[in-house]
Amino acid sequence: MLELVDLSKKFKQMYAVKNLNMFIEKGEIVGLLGPNGAGKSTAISMLSSLVEPTNGDGRFNNISILKRPAPLRKVIGMVPQEIALYNDLTAEENLRFFGRIYRLKGNVLKKKIDEILELIGLADRRKDVVEKYSGGMKRRLNIGVALLHDPEVIIMDEPTVGIDPQSRNYILETVKRLNAEKQMTVLYTSHYMEEVEFLCDRIYIMDKGNLIASGTKDEIKRILSAEKTISIKAERLNFLCHHYGYFFFFRNHTINYRILF
Amino acid sequence: MMNGQNPNINVKVTFIEHGDEAEQVDRFMNEIENDLPQAAVEGIQSGIDGMMPISILKKEVFGSEDLKEIVEINEVHLSERTSVLDDNTYTTVIEVPDNFTYQTLKHMVLDQDTQPTLKVTQNDQHQIGSSIVSDVLNQFQEQLTLGTFLEKNGIDQNAIQLDEESYGEVTTINQKKSVTSKGYYAVGMAVMNVLFIASTIGSMAFLEKKIHVFDRVILANVSRWVYFTGVLISGTIIGFFHLLIVFGFAWLVFGVSWPDLIAFFTVTLAFAAAVGGIAVLLTAISYRFNSEVITNFFSGIVVTIMAVLGGSFFPLGDSSAIIRTLGNLTPNGAGMSAYLTILRGDGISQIGSHIFFLIIFAIVTVIIAALSFPKRGLAK
Repeated sequence: MLELVDLSKKFKQMYAVKNLNMFIEKGEIVGLLGPNGAGKSTAISMLSSLVEPTNGDGRFNNISILKRPAPLRKVIGMVPQEIALYNDLTAEENLRFFGRIYRLKGNVLKKKIDEILELIGLADRRKDVVEKYSGGMKRRLNIGVALLHDPEVIIMDEPTVGIDPQSRNYILETVKRLNAEKQMTVLYTSHYMEEVEFLCDRIYIMDKGNLIASGTKDEIKRILSAEKTISIKAERLNFLCHHYGYFFFFRNHTINYRILF
Repeated sequence: MMNGQNPNINVKVTFIEHGDEAEQVDRFMNEIENDLPQAAVEGIQSGIDGMMPISILKKEVFGSEDLKEIVEINEVHLSERTSVLDDNTYTTVIEVPDNFTYQTLKHMVLDQDTQPTLKVTQNDQHQIGSSIVSDVLNQFQEQLTLGTFLEKNGIDQNAIQLDEESYGEVTTINQKKSVTSKGYYAVGMAVMNVLFIASTIGSMAFLEKKIHVFDRVILANVSRWVYFTGVLISGTIIGFFHLLIVFGFAWLVFGVSWPDLIAFFTVTLAFAAAVGGIAVLLTAISYRFNSEVITNFFSGIVVTIMAVLGGSFFPLGDSSAIIRTLGNLTPNGAGMSAYLTILRGDGISQIGSHIFFLIIFAIVTVIIAALSFPKRGLAK
């Protein structure tokens, strides 16, 4: 359904993404894993036709995204890492504004807004301005906006960054639900291993602009278990977990650090 | 001025004489030869050089040591009257009607004929210069009256108290209305403040890029030109209503009213289009460079410079020609000149060049903005 072929993006002398190849089949949830600065956001910006690649191309149903972005744009929903909402508007007003951009109007738009607010659990706060929302509520509305036009494919760029565990679970469950009930294809980027492990059928791992591993969950696990393991005694687990969480599996006070070569 | 130095003032005084002064003096002398005793005629003849008011005004008053450094005297033919009055560089146009000197001499010497009147047209935008010329003319008229009175009565100047009788009169006939300070500063502040609309819209548009709202617009298959046009139209409409609100307030509170509403609305629309052009240009540049610096620089520095050059803080009429030209090359300066021209009572035909400039400015800014606007979503 969606594939990237030798996709690269160069900024001045540095490659943000280099020769990235990946594919996404209809109805699957694919995880794109990597630390900050790995090139995930640049990759999905190219995939969604927002950024022109330096080399390579993306294909949607065998149509070049570079040459003809319109067919993809029609069916894609994008959840950016940033909260792409108007803070001084209410949830309902935000949804109405973005719904109008998607050319929805009248009763269709009204029904869609009600449905989305119900789905993201903000129906009772629909009249509150976004400014007053918690981080988790803003994230949920951010996802809601991307669902207004019933997209076939949804791309989520670290949608759980900086939110409480409850909201995080809500979002993860919502993604699962969308995939199960509406057969929505999902590309989910994160730097939390457990999130992609929970959600995704297949996983791509990026680092410094390069794809360093890819496969199903089991394949990735096999790759990781085949790697060398170094045990590290850590005194400040919280600090380490915060920065390197997705590479660490820890028991008591011992961390097993799996190095990827 | 603040450090005690003389301000650089250039006063341009233009004389338009309807008749020849020497010919009028000859005619007067010929006429009095038969009516007055020979001795009196000879007395007048010997002092006739001191009785030619226009020559005295040009050579001895405006051409004096004190004034010749700041006053530039021009003499133009009657046929050029219209073009001189339309020329904004003049400070004062002194129009000498036909038989002025002849009638002045008859009135002064023979107590005959009516008092002649000089037509003085002053440029409101040259406030300091106009004030100087006005004071000089009033002083000249008083001296002329005093001298004539003393000569006729043989009285010592220090011993008398002048009566109210006047032997000459300077009458300012300004065919245009003068602009009040309230009107001037209402216009000055309005044309400056509306520029902040452009930077505000530019900032908001950049915020939409920053928080990826623009991405959502692009992904909804909305052409970037629709967004671009939206910014342009928003700038124009908000600028237009901003001006209407400010001038509405000035009308209600300060009584600043517009003699020609069609001309007022035309200038307001053209100026608002220029503001829309600036808004879309700031948006395009900030999108191109992925930075809000240009918008902040515009609102923090450029607007102030444009406001000074455009005359929002003080009239530029007494400044050099370069400054005045630069001022009219700013949209706020052109808008201000157009508004002030309307307030002085002129119609739309007198502000055509300013409206044309504003429209050209809007078109040029939109073209530059279109060329700068990123071609594909974000310009990363």
